[in-house]
Amino acid sequence: MATTQTRPPAPKRPADAEPSEPAPTPGLQGAWWKWAVGLLMCYVIYGAFAVGGTVNFAGSGNSGRIVFFHVPVAILSYVCYAVAACYAIGTLRRRDLRADAKSAIAMELGVLFCVLATITGSLFAGVMWNSFWNWDPREISIVIMLLLYASYLVLRGAVSEQPETRARLSAVYVLVALIPATFLIWVVPRLPWLQSLHPPDTLVRPQNTSASYKAVLYPSFLAFTLLFVWLFQLRYRVWQLVQRRN
Amino acid sequence: MGRYADTAGNRAVSGQAQAVAAKPVSWLDEARALLAKDLRAELRTKVALSAVGVFTFSALLLLSLATATLKEVQTVDILRLPEPISRDALTAAMHPAWDAPSKMGMLWILLCFAAFSGLSHSFVHEEETGTVMALRLSMSAGAVYAGKLAFNLLLILAVAVIVTPIYMLITGMPMGAPPVFLLVMFSGCVGLAGAATIVAALAAKAHGTGALYGAIGLPLLVVFLMLLLNAASAVFIIDPAPVRLVRDIGGLLSYGVLLITVSALTFGFVWED
Repeated sequence: MATTQTRPPAPKRPADAEPSEPAPTPGLQGAWWKWAVGLLMCYVIYGAFAVGGTVNFAGSGNSGRIVFFHVPVAILSYVCYAVAACYAIGTLRRRDLRADAKSAIAMELGVLFCVLATITGSLFAGVMWNSFWNWDPREISIVIMLLLYASYLVLRGAVSEQPETRARLSAVYVLVALIPATFLIWVVPRLPWLQSLHPPDTLVRPQNTSASYKAVLYPSFLAFTLLFVWLFQLRYRVWQLVQRRN
Repeated sequence: MGRYADTAGNRAVSGQAQAVAAKPVSWLDEARALLAKDLRAELRTKVALSAVGVFTFSALLLLSLATATLKEVQTVDILRLPEPISRDALTAAMHPAWDAPSKMGMLWILLCFAAFSGLSHSFVHEEETGTVMALRLSMSAGAVYAGKLAFNLLLILAVAVIVTPIYMLITGMPMGAPPVFLLVMFSGCVGLAGAATIVAALAAKAHGTGALYGAIGLPLLVVFLMLLLNAASAVFIIDPAPVRLVRDIGGLLSYGVLLITVSALTFGFVWED
């Protein structure tokens, strides 16, 4: 190994450093698992409407079927942030613009999942509590989470001319804002000052979850996570192509 | 060199150089030097003080005008009244609609915006005057962060000490238990200074205007304010359980400490060029 102890200089343009065919991203490869995601998603959608009789999520009746989509998407909106934070650490440690691109892609997908969680949650609230918006702690959290993602994109937009400065500043912002993000998901909904309507223990109480219910919900987590990986790979591929064109 | 070099300035510089060579300067000394420099510059120009002062004065004025009628409003929780509703029971159950925790919340919204209007300059000023390079050469990133944080914390504490009594006079906000109240105010100042310092550094490096400062700082502040309001609701309970105090005020303080820790760890990456 011809590695040296000194840190290599940050590549000015990653497109030059790469061969003509971009190195494949580690992880899931090929087309087979995308078909599998498609089939799994079909199963989840079918199952969400076909699970009958046993479904009674905290007494919410049929409207509770949205749990199959809302909960995985809401959890992913935080997972996206955690992924972005991991790549932000990579950006700072290795001075790698590719890690910065991945961090930004995770944040962009976070916006998508955040919006989806907000919409599905709002639909459920409209059916259950007769108002699409109640300023419930979870609703406040998700809105501030959206604000957090938006601020990140604003910061990136402000330094778009200097890619390396942008990589450093946005990575630092992701890590600093990890604290409010974590507080928003884990602390704010449990503050005694705010009274929550949101069912906190839908998935914990055994009488809420029958076997057929779990048989749909757990694949749903897997399906949405794999969808995230797929979208992530697609966006990264687009970024690589744009880099190569420039 | 001769006698021309024998001026006071050169003597001072060579004296400092000897001192540097004699013993390595710790980052704490560097941070203290930066704090002293910032304080002296601030007392000379009074940019941040006047910005915060004018903002706070006009905000307090507007607040007292806007809440003149709100202060008079009394409310009654009908569901908690004893069954035969009498005039005396109603009078006894009346309490102000604008209660003490809400007043505390309003005070902190005021302090947050005051701090953000004044502290956004702390790094921008160095960039504008070109002293940022000298600062980078003369001390480590950690010392710069510590010095700027200390300056911002001092400024916020000074503003809080001046504004809070005036605010209490205007709105009639009670104090609750003084030690608890002071602890909440101090924890709030720590969190606010922690958020303002790292956001100021990021915004200055992004060559941002005040708009960028607000945009990237606001999410940090909103969560901070929610924790603060939660702590404020615990301050004004008559006989609070110690567990509740530790949990609510500890939560508020931990937010500030966490922000400062992560900022200190990552500040080096913002500071380098």
